[in-house]
Amino acid sequence: MKAVIIDDERLARVELRRLLAEHPEVQVAGEARGGEEALDVIAGLSPDLIFLDIQMPGMTGFQLLERLEDVPQVIFTTGYDEYAIKAFEVNALDYLMKPIAPARLAAALARARPRQSKSRLEQVFVRDGEKCWIVRLADVFLMESEGNYTRLCFGSDRPLIRRSLNALEEQLDPAISFRANRKQIVNLKWVQAMAAGAGGALAVTLRGGREVEISRRAAARLREVMSL
Amino acid sequence: MNATNGSNPNNGDSGYWGFTILFWAINTAIYFSFAVHYAGWTAPIVVGYLLYPIYSIGLTHLLHLELRRRRGRVLPVWKRIAEMVLAVLAIGLVQTFLIGAVDWLFGGRDSLFYQQTALIASAFGATSAVGMWVFVYAFRDHRLQRIQLKLALREAELRALEAQINPHFLFNCLNSIRALVAENPARAQDMITRLANIFRYNLHREPTHTVPLAAEVEVVNDYLALESVRFEDRLRVHLAISAEAGKTPVPSMLLQTLVENALKHGIAPLPSGGDLLIRAERDRDATRIEVENTGQLGANSDNGAEVERGQAGVGLNNTRERLRILYGGRASLQLRNREDGRVVATVLIPANARA
Repeated sequence: MKAVIIDDERLARVELRRLLAEHPEVQVAGEARGGEEALDVIAGLSPDLIFLDIQMPGMTGFQLLERLEDVPQVIFTTGYDEYAIKAFEVNALDYLMKPIAPARLAAALARARPRQSKSRLEQVFVRDGEKCWIVRLADVFLMESEGNYTRLCFGSDRPLIRRSLNALEEQLDPAISFRANRKQIVNLKWVQAMAAGAGGALAVTLRGGREVEISRRAAARLREVMSL
Repeated sequence: MNATNGSNPNNGDSGYWGFTILFWAINTAIYFSFAVHYAGWTAPIVVGYLLYPIYSIGLTHLLHLELRRRRGRVLPVWKRIAEMVLAVLAIGLVQTFLIGAVDWLFGGRDSLFYQQTALIASAFGATSAVGMWVFVYAFRDHRLQRIQLKLALREAELRALEAQINPHFLFNCLNSIRALVAENPARAQDMITRLANIFRYNLHREPTHTVPLAAEVEVVNDYLALESVRFEDRLRVHLAISAEAGKTPVPSMLLQTLVENALKHGIAPLPSGGDLLIRAERDRDATRIEVENTGQLGANSDNGAEVERGQAGVGLNNTRERLRILYGGRASLQLRNREDGRVVATVLIPANARA
């Protein structure tokens, strides 16, 4: 697994590198001293995993995540940041408190997985007011277009992300994400039931009860995909 | 801005209204029963004693507001007493006039204005009641102020402790030291000693007392050495403390609070770091302590900076409060943006301050 360490303190990076030497499955491919540098390094290396300090000069860890189109797996490393951590709801791989205990690091790494695919979007960062999420797109059952924004539906949350549905669609896995109509993309893994609608259209029910209209044009495609 | 000016006009004295209303109610009851006893149930007496507590409460409340407004002034005791006596006489006079006026309106030709003795008795009664109110008020106020000072000190103590055993600082510091153990063992040892110094200083210090500035500088030096491990070349420190200034007694944690603010809010958010200058000079009248850092107040607006600025504000207000308690308004603390992109905190400590 390719990892990048992002921390403004040189000694903190040195220390983490030293700890990671015990884990040959993790290869530290790069380091960054702050957000701007990290953007370049991540773009160049597309790592599976980043170790991210939250409090950094210039750009905080959160601001960095906001600017990443595709978010790798994140392990936060922080000195003491109750405030910052509270803001996080979902899906950072782990939070490690510095000085990092080797056993805690091992536990965090045990959860890390190499990326499935280099070209597909796996995670995005979303901020909605006070709350932030790292959202695994596999958990998103429905995406709805709202102008230049897209509403992501997962769990009981419905935050908006500043990307158009069309732009997102290009980066999604077509085997899972299905364009149901002009406004919506459903996650096929979440489809529970399907019913015929008027004039060759379909209606699918997602786990959790949400119903989505499948346009006539899409319905033909869906039948094909689902081999009905 | 004075830190004591809370939003509550009673300044946390929740018993003020209870005391004032009860005082005037009892006073009215006593005077009224005397009046009825000697003159019987007449309209002027009943109306007069219905109105008496109302304007009395109003008048003493005006005095209360004025005293609150002037709070924090330093005055010799005799002047304070003279002021109070004048206030009592003035309010007594207004009351006497009102008593007479009400009586005249309802009693016509028989009213007090035509009976000198009765008028004088009323004047005496009203004035002595106000005098009593002021006496109890001053007693309560004195007690309240003492409680508030104690609370302020306790809070300062807590805040200082928090700042010192600032978890963010401590844990990052320990992390750096752990890395140094492998990289530069001698430096790691030095850092551990300095960390020990800081903790010892904090555990042994009396937050209510003053310490020589030089002692503060020493511990700030340890603190800065530790922060330099984290900041490396992002932090450039310059010290200029004259030997004379070093002897000035200052509230403990004064310099530490300012330096910590400068690092946390000034230099830490800057990717390329900045300069920190600490100067102290003493002249005939005062010791001037300045902490200057690269950065501007209110420059960083994200990352919960609002929250942090709030904390910095509390730290500074608390420092101001302690200066006020220790030097009674003769010391000052100012924080300002300078045009060359620096922030300067200036503290003035009066030269003849008691240690």
